Amino acid sequence: MPNKSGTIYGLTILSPIKHEGHIDTSHSLAIRKYLHKLPADGRGPFGKVSSTHMARLVVLDDVEYFGMPSCEDHLKSRYLIFESNFDGELETYLNDLATKASEEVHGIWQHCIGYPGVQNVPAFIAYMKRCQVETTFYFADVNDKTVEQTLVALQRQSAVASFIEKNQGKPPAELHRAFGEFWARLQKAPPPKPGSTPGKEFTDKLL
Amino acid sequence: MSRLDATDIQGFAVRGYNFPFARFLFLKILEGKKGRAWLGRLIAEITTGERWDHGKPKSTVNVAFTFKGLEALELPMASLMSFPVEFVQGMKARAPILVDKGRNAPEHWDVVWQGEVHAWVGIFAQGAAELDRRCLELLALEQETGGVENIGSQDAAALQINGQITSKEHFGYTDGFGNPEYLGMEKDSQPGQGKLTEDGKWTPLATGELLLEYADEAGELPVAPLPHLLANNGTFMVYRKLHQNVATFRRYLKEKGKLYPGGEEKLASKFIGRWRDGTPVELSPDKPDPAIMNDKNRNVNFTFGKDLEGTCCPIGAHIRRTNPRDAFGFNGRVINRRRISRRGMPYGPYSPEDQPGNDDGEHGVVFMAVNASIFRQFEFVQQQWIEYGNDARQGNDKDMLIGNHGGHGKFMIQGTDDPKNPPFLCGGLPNFVELRGGDYFFMPSITALRLIAEHAVDPR
Repeated sequence: MPNKSGTIYGLTILSPIKHEGHIDTSHSLAIRKYLHKLPADGRGPFGKVSSTHMARLVVLDDVEYFGMPSCEDHLKSRYLIFESNFDGELETYLNDLATKASEEVHGIWQHCIGYPGVQNVPAFIAYMKRCQVETTFYFADVNDKTVEQTLVALQRQSAVASFIEKNQGKPPAELHRAFGEFWARLQKAPPPKPGSTPGKEFTDKLL
Repeated sequence: MSRLDATDIQGFAVRGYNFPFARFLFLKILEGKKGRAWLGRLIAEITTGERWDHGKPKSTVNVAFTFKGLEALELPMASLMSFPVEFVQGMKARAPILVDKGRNAPEHWDVVWQGEVHAWVGIFAQGAAELDRRCLELLALEQETGGVENIGSQDAAALQINGQITSKEHFGYTDGFGNPEYLGMEKDSQPGQGKLTEDGKWTPLATGELLLEYADEAGELPVAPLPHLLANNGTFMVYRKLHQNVATFRRYLKEKGKLYPGGEEKLASKFIGRWRDGTPVELSPDKPDPAIMNDKNRNVNFTFGKDLEGTCCPIGAHIRRTNPRDAFGFNGRVINRRRISRRGMPYGPYSPEDQPGNDDGEHGVVFMAVNASIFRQFEFVQQQWIEYGNDARQGNDKDMLIGNHGGHGKFMIQGTDDPKNPPFLCGGLPNFVELRGGDYFFMPSITALRLIAEHAVDPR
């Protein structure tokens, strides 16, 4: 199935944006304004839906005109493009969006044609699936590991580097003992929070 | 392509002079008309790219301008607005993308860079007395025309060790290898200097990687100012004064050298990818080899394709990061638009090897590089290959030698089962090198200098 690469789902949604004639702020402008105010760190909607690897929201005004000899073409409406790479199945992910980031989802999609709200979750899922565009060419910018596996791997890499720096050159017996203790601490360590960067502070605690 | 007109190109753009003494004058243009009069008279002094068939001159003179300098010389607005944006902004404004922060931030730069430098005049000489003589002549010219003011200068000189002029830099490495070759330039070809071909041979890079108004490696013309004659045969120069913390470097090398089973000198070779005498680690992993080092057909002629694991030359070694050759695959094609030509020179006195050396004081390297696009070439290398490690699959690690580590850097030395060549991790990296100032300059052709001097640049 082209929407998936291993366990990672590549989602593309195109939602047509409303075009009412007699309002001060157009709906596409309102979406841009709302997106602009969202925090870009882990406090944003995709920090709450922690299975997200990467996501992007774009307002598409129209197809671009490149001049002669290309023909001039237009879309029927403006579109909201939503792209996301996430772990697991589509319905679970859409359910998470509707329940864990309902405020932001509503803030954005309320400007789209046919959006049924987030209160009725099955209706929301059905709506999003109607807007889905099949992924036909999957650009695998993340490997086949979940968000949590990736964060744990980064944490371990960083911790192991610190361990080597501190212990390289020690006699084999001492090294063996130190590594055993370190490994035990490492395995008990809680995984880093989504959106966090495993830093020096964390690895120091493990050493 | 046909041969380039070497008489129209500034010599500094096409060759490293390899003279032992240099002085760089930093000028402010006081007034447009007088400034142009000064330039008009300076043109006769400029060293071009002509061959030195009858021996090297005693000294050379070249000139380049910042954007503010071109403004002060009253180039037409339509020409000024056609320059690439990074040049217009200047190096100080580019600090965030160059990761020039912390100790490298502009507020810590030398006083001369806190003000407005308009022009760089570079003088290279065979002897110290000749350098002074030529500079006095240039000062007299400045005073006669009254168009410019000297606001600072920087001396540079090949390091003298035990009374011998050397090609070493302050950390003890032989420097100055490996500038690329370009199409159309008359130069003895040296294998390893250009770009790799499908069959593993070396050919010159496209001229447009160095000079404006020639096709580059993508078959495009680099972004260049208008009109054609202003840009043609010109290039852009990056000037960075890099202070070297010699005591910190020697202390760090000694400390880690005690732990590293291959010993201090081998560790030093892993940092850079060359032994301190200059022998490439990739060709001689176990010891320096004068036979390779002194053979110009071998000392830059190597690839990393057979050492993708970095067990000979570490993946993060300085010369491998800054010129990855074929290490990223595709016969090296992905790096052909990221090459620069270095024209650097040390400054300040050398601390004898048996001493701890100093962090304080004035010593380092005046890094100068020429390229067709500062944005695509120098800035890319600085941002992605020096201050970041993802292309080399080294995560957030920075260049061991010149990265802005702030005390937290690490450098992984890949190894083998051989007890003399084990994997080794260098952590807690300090800043061995600190930026003390610099800027971006446009180095026009002789024709363009004349047009500027005569106020005849016509972009219409």
